[in-house]
Amino acid sequence: MSDLTQAALAPGGGRTMERARALVRSRSGLIGLILIAMLTVLSLFSAFGWLPYDPIAQDPPSRLQPPSSTHFFGTDQFGRDVFSRVAAGVANSALIAVVAVAVAAIIGTLCGVIAGFYRGVSDGVISGVTNVLFAFPPLLLALSLASVFNRNWFTIAMAIAIVYVPIFIRVTRGPVLSLREIEYVKAATSTGQSRSRVMFRHVLPNITSIIIVQVTLSLSWAVLTEAALSFLGLGTPPPAASLGSMIFDARTLVTIAPWTMIAPGVVVVLLVVGLNLLGDGLRDALDPRNRGKK
Amino acid sequence: MYGGTRAKRAGFAAIGLAATFALALTGCSPTSDKAAEPAAKGGGSLVVGVTSDPDTLFPWKATQFQAVNVLQNLYGTLTEFDEDLKVVPGLAESWEVSEDGLTVTLNLRKDVTFADGSTFGSEDVKSSLEKIKDPATAAVSASSLASVASVEAPDEATVVLTLTAPDAALLANLAVVNMAMLSSDDTEEALNKTPNGTGPFVLGERVASQSITLDKNDDYWGDTALLDSVEFRVIPDESSIVSAMQSGNVQMAVFDDPLVADTAKSNQLTVTETPQLSYHALQLNATKGALTDVNVRLAMQCAIDRQQVLDTAALGEGEVTGPITSPAYRSDPDARPCPERDLDKAAEYLDKAGMAGGVTVKAIVSQGEYATSTNEAQNLKAQLAEADITLEIEVLESGAYVDRWVAADFEAAIALNGGRPDPDGMYGRYFTSTGNLNKVAGYSSPELDALFAEGRQTSDPDARAEIYEKVSSELEDNAAWIWLFTSYTYTVTAANVDGFVPMVNGSLQYLRTTSLN
Amino acid sequence: MLLTITRHPVLTRILGAAATLLGVAIFVFIMLRAIPGDQITAGLGTEAAALTPDQRAALEAYYGLDQPLLVQFFTWLGNIFTGNLGFSSRAQESVLDLTLQSLPVTLELALFSIVLALLIGIPLGMMSASKPDSPRDAVGQVVGLAGLSVPAFLLATALLAILASSFGFNPNGQAFARLFENPALNLQQMLLPAIVLGFGIAAPIMRTTRTAVLEIRSNDFIRTARAKGIPPRRLQVKHVLGNALVPIVTMTGLQFGYLLGGAVVVEQIFSLPGIGRQVLLGIQQKEYALVQSTVLVIALSFVLVNLFTDLLYRIIDPRVRAA
Repeated sequence: MSDLTQAALAPGGGRTMERARALVRSRSGLIGLILIAMLTVLSLFSAFGWLPYDPIAQDPPSRLQPPSSTHFFGTDQFGRDVFSRVAAGVANSALIAVVAVAVAAIIGTLCGVIAGFYRGVSDGVISGVTNVLFAFPPLLLALSLASVFNRNWFTIAMAIAIVYVPIFIRVTRGPVLSLREIEYVKAATSTGQSRSRVMFRHVLPNITSIIIVQVTLSLSWAVLTEAALSFLGLGTPPPAASLGSMIFDARTLVTIAPWTMIAPGVVVVLLVVGLNLLGDGLRDALDPRNRGKK
Repeated sequence: MYGGTRAKRAGFAAIGLAATFALALTGCSPTSDKAAEPAAKGGGSLVVGVTSDPDTLFPWKATQFQAVNVLQNLYGTLTEFDEDLKVVPGLAESWEVSEDGLTVTLNLRKDVTFADGSTFGSEDVKSSLEKIKDPATAAVSASSLASVASVEAPDEATVVLTLTAPDAALLANLAVVNMAMLSSDDTEEALNKTPNGTGPFVLGERVASQSITLDKNDDYWGDTALLDSVEFRVIPDESSIVSAMQSGNVQMAVFDDPLVADTAKSNQLTVTETPQLSYHALQLNATKGALTDVNVRLAMQCAIDRQQVLDTAALGEGEVTGPITSPAYRSDPDARPCPERDLDKAAEYLDKAGMAGGVTVKAIVSQGEYATSTNEAQNLKAQLAEADITLEIEVLESGAYVDRWVAADFEAAIALNGGRPDPDGMYGRYFTSTGNLNKVAGYSSPELDALFAEGRQTSDPDARAEIYEKVSSELEDNAAWIWLFTSYTYTVTAANVDGFVPMVNGSLQYLRTTSLN
Repeated sequence: MLLTITRHPVLTRILGAAATLLGVAIFVFIMLRAIPGDQITAGLGTEAAALTPDQRAALEAYYGLDQPLLVQFFTWLGNIFTGNLGFSSRAQESVLDLTLQSLPVTLELALFSIVLALLIGIPLGMMSASKPDSPRDAVGQVVGLAGLSVPAFLLATALLAILASSFGFNPNGQAFARLFENPALNLQQMLLPAIVLGFGIAAPIMRTTRTAVLEIRSNDFIRTARAKGIPPRRLQVKHVLGNALVPIVTMTGLQFGYLLGGAVVVEQIFSLPGIGRQVLLGIQQKEYALVQSTVLVIALSFVLVNLFTDLLYRIIDPRVRAA
């Protein structure tokens, strides 16, 4: 992360187009982008209802059919179309991951910036809470949180979010601490600009690249965490499909209907691979030292 | 909860089994002691794969399936069930019931010793029964002794129970491990560490959350067990148990998930299906919301194809059922207002209820407590939707589910409830207005109260069967709940395991006749 | 000089660690009580509905649930200072004894996994970095990605099922063997879970190594060294790897800490009686003292690993060393 910190400390941030080009130029970024784009399209289809079948509609007479032209990925034990469910599952898993990471990023960044920028008591409290959350076994934390509340996709997202908040705090606090000492920020403060103005105008823009990279990495972890929670019986409640719960449900079916496992299994791997590659690409593209030299 | 790790509980409510054959009230000396056994060949150690170890070793408080299975082999009870669930002698060799049905005299077996070598006698019976009745003990079977006014021990081998009213289910109630006979000197603390029973096995070694090993009891009053020892090895994930059986490390396991059992069907492994007394039901709480209207409940009954629930949730492995599941009293599954799914009739009932536009019912379901729960929920929701009935499903972690269930804080609940051989023991506590689970059942009626009272005082099996047939139709005609299906357990054994008899109550008591070749 | 610099931060680190542990204690205490159900309903299941009020009161007294929450908290905390971590009524053993059995299992597993991960991750990372954007880089990257992307429970289940059914190889089907009682079997039982976990951790280590090596190689002092004519191999090992160690150690420490509580799923599938499973069982049974104390032990180990990493960091970081 230290290289990123330095990257962030380079002032300025308006070269969006240039960075986008850099992202597309890097091979891993491009592959990641394509994978994520494909899966996004798939989940959009599901969001608009453009799927061959209703993902939760049951058709018991056609249970457990192998893949065919009518059911690309076969059917599950309720006669539901696995392809449609995978599409809906991508949408749900992505929704959970995105909401979880968004909440974690917003709260975490805010706390991290406050702690780093204002120091003092707020830093003490925030860093203290961060340390506590870090020392708490993460999966057990999510597990307990998921069993406290009535379970739906939102509470699961929140449980995962709480696990990731401290990561964002830690990732942002350090750079903000250094930024504080940098000349132009000091200058801005001394010219009488209000502290919050300085924070939003000068500090936040400089740590966006760190946050963006952390977001993509956390997204892939969040997808896997949701899957792990499903394994422990605390994932997305049925009948809604999520990739994690589909894999978990298919575990016992795998000998008689392997397609129920393979389809969501492959897609979850593609999703995570895509997010990781995208994260790599973004890291390269946003790191100023990588620009211009190859 | 926790998919891979569920702690199986024996039937959601109640392990307790009460027997059918309501004591022939005229006093009888029961017939043969035990079935003829194969020539004893013996020895060896059997490894049984289980997902969890017992949560308690104190028999009066054990409800978890795993604990009951272990304790049943360590402790003895006054009466026992044979493989057809008939009440047969246990620590009581014989018994007489007085003409008025108010006095039961138990003649105890002599020369029975506890694992610690002390002798079992009538004082132990008296102290056990009295402690079970004492609320401070918090024994789960206390209510089964509600009819017992006093326990006397006139001599070393005789116990006399005085009842407040005739109780046709009493002798069967004595046969469950929650009624185990403990030495009068023992305490809960001591027994939790070192079980001290009169069963066919004694505790060998226990490694917490890894394994519990039972050694054969050479001083057992009956035929000594054939195996030298039985190890219950904890393998938390069911798929991993199957793997352990395939690699030969484990020789026996019992699953309730047909899919898991199916993965074991191969090579050297035999899978035996045993129908179960426990039943899957959609419990309706007739005191809540739209369900107070019998027409709404009937509409739900008509909108559900039970076979489809069974097919989708459990791959068709089981049987559609009415309320009573014990073989001797089995309800006719078709004796109900809607024997088959009938959407027109469902619409009619909804219309009658003034809810032609549709109705919403909230149901709780626990995830992971048993394999098919959420699958049933999904199929029920889909079927009811076609009849304009919206089933809102709340999926709960098992702790939360149990909390809500215990507090009767639900409109509908998807449940797997334990069955008992005797219909009074099975439903009396739910559907009589004074039953201790009536709040959870959410339904009672003067008709049912009268029928259950009559059943308790009737000893003639045919007359009882008639009474419980009426109970059954009362329940179905009012759609008190919607009974769905009974499922199987799957006993998977390696080729060299012999002599084990799976029972419909899930009991592993026949480990004592099991041998390894 | 050195003393005055280090003494102060070390002291604050220790105080900070104590505060963190107190925070964990409060947090886990509150969270457990927020989860629906208690030890009574966890033990009896729905049969708890049949308890009479008298019976319920007797059980609450038995499990100590009739005490006010603050009393429960301070009794527990007070006991901890006397070395009494509580008693598990399920296992009929003290939590201390249980932890002394389960913690070594998880530590061994974590150590084993980390070693495997380092053995895979570092060479892979260096291979990738040695020629960026070449086929060998691609191979390294793909392996790394696979480690990051395959859910552990999927890999674990598949490995176990395939090896057991096709080859009859399943050491984890046997009773768990302790390291000092039956090392041969113990190591076999640790092998598959360590591979699953190690594969997952190898990925971040590989990526950290690759990034660090790439970065260091572009630094001036390496260029100077190269100009001085130091042989490439020596350069690679001594200077590049030596300097790349700092982020690798940081990442390793982080992963090790995570494994202490994060191996639950793998412990579950491979039936290892580790500390993660101890917590999970405790949560299921609502054994409050057991979960509280065990989580505290995990947190303590985590804090210690962090301190140790810091220390190591001071030793190996050339900049700190030089100062």
